[in-house]
Amino acid sequence: MDSKYYLTWEEYLAEHPELEDKPTQAIAPKIQKYEDAMFVFIMDLLL
Amino acid sequence: MTDAVTMTNERNQLFRDLFSGKTPKRVPVSNPATQDFAIQYAGLDLAECQWDLTKLEPVYDKFCQDFFTDTYPGGSIRIPSHYQLLGSTPIVMSSSGFMQHPEVVGLLAEEYDEFIASPYDCIVEKVLPRLFTELNGAPGKVAMSLAKAMRAQSDDLAYLGTIRAKMNAKYGYAGMIGALTEAPFDFMADFLRSFKGISGDVRRYPDKVAAACDAVLPLMIKKGTLPNPSMLGYTFIPLHMAPYLRDKDFATLYWPTFKKLVETMASMGQNVQLFVEQDWMRYLDYLYELPENTIMRFEYGDAKLVKEKLGKKHIISGFYPITLLQTGTKQQCIDKAKELLDILAPGGKYWFQADKSVINFEAKGPVAENMSAVLEYVHENGTY
Repeated sequence: MDSKYYLTWEEYLAEHPELEDKPTQAIAPKIQKYEDAMFVFIMDLLL
Repeated sequence: MTDAVTMTNERNQLFRDLFSGKTPKRVPVSNPATQDFAIQYAGLDLAECQWDLTKLEPVYDKFCQDFFTDTYPGGSIRIPSHYQLLGSTPIVMSSSGFMQHPEVVGLLAEEYDEFIASPYDCIVEKVLPRLFTELNGAPGKVAMSLAKAMRAQSDDLAYLGTIRAKMNAKYGYAGMIGALTEAPFDFMADFLRSFKGISGDVRRYPDKVAAACDAVLPLMIKKGTLPNPSMLGYTFIPLHMAPYLRDKDFATLYWPTFKKLVETMASMGQNVQLFVEQDWMRYLDYLYELPENTIMRFEYGDAKLVKEKLGKKHIISGFYPITLLQTGTKQQCIDKAKELLDILAPGGKYWFQADKSVINFEAKGPVAENMSAVLEYVHENGTY
């Protein structure tokens, strides 16, 4: 999905290089979870 | 193993068999009444209970005790708190406490090109501020409103989830999970262009409608995707606008992206349940083309014709007219259930659900008694 309001983990990481030396295997699923949760919340408002 | 666990295992097997095309031990049954009905049936105030969810556990307990069903009854996605916090105009609580959907326009006709270029950005920047007053204002205020609303919905869904888990543990329901999405054309109609707006658009700008459906399809797929597809999970897709379209508009504007949506879900190993609203009898040949074992809950139409044309490939449900629960005698209600069992159950691929949900309860009316009799009848007489 091409949107400035939804980022994949890879897109997020590219915008946040400070995370590259952090435990990304633990960070990635958490960031992605809330990205997806916001998407579902927004779309639920229109269903 | 407790009785409830045994019942859950048996019911899970009913649905595993049903969804995989095998004939189950008996016809699975779902109670058509909703949380709204359950609250009124318990004698409580509808509006108050939807705001104060702590009142709902005894409501569900009585509801589950009094009406047979294989799946957890009730549940709600229309919880008032987050709609209120957002200043919602498309979903509002009526004076009687029912959550209602007035006709709204979230997307203007002249915004089609912007929507087609980036549908999610357009939703966030144009549609939401138009439909939700608290999302239209200073960035700080919008951020606060969004945060409060999302937290409210998360809390409410979590609370309803604990009630559901308790009822499942006590009454042994099947462990079903679901996701909700829409056919792209219906999504464009319902909250964006409105019934009236889209009806004009198909004549004035059919190319833009088609392009908008293509553009929004990836969002509809993402919204309908379960985190972990399983045999007991399904994507629920209520279908709205097709019966109001000319055949040629259905063929070019509605069907292509809807078919892609269902095929994509099926290719990911997800079951799909369609709520085939209004009368789709002129589209049965299209429905036949969908992936095998698509679940189709019909509102109106000819049950015999549907069984004949679709019943060997797809799973059929619905058709039981809930208006009969209000107008018929107990025997007439049971006779109707028998008639549908005789038509739809042979050969399997049948799930007993009604043609629509029962939301209203009158203390002196016949609906509760008739509904209980019908659910018991199908449970006791639906054995293969």
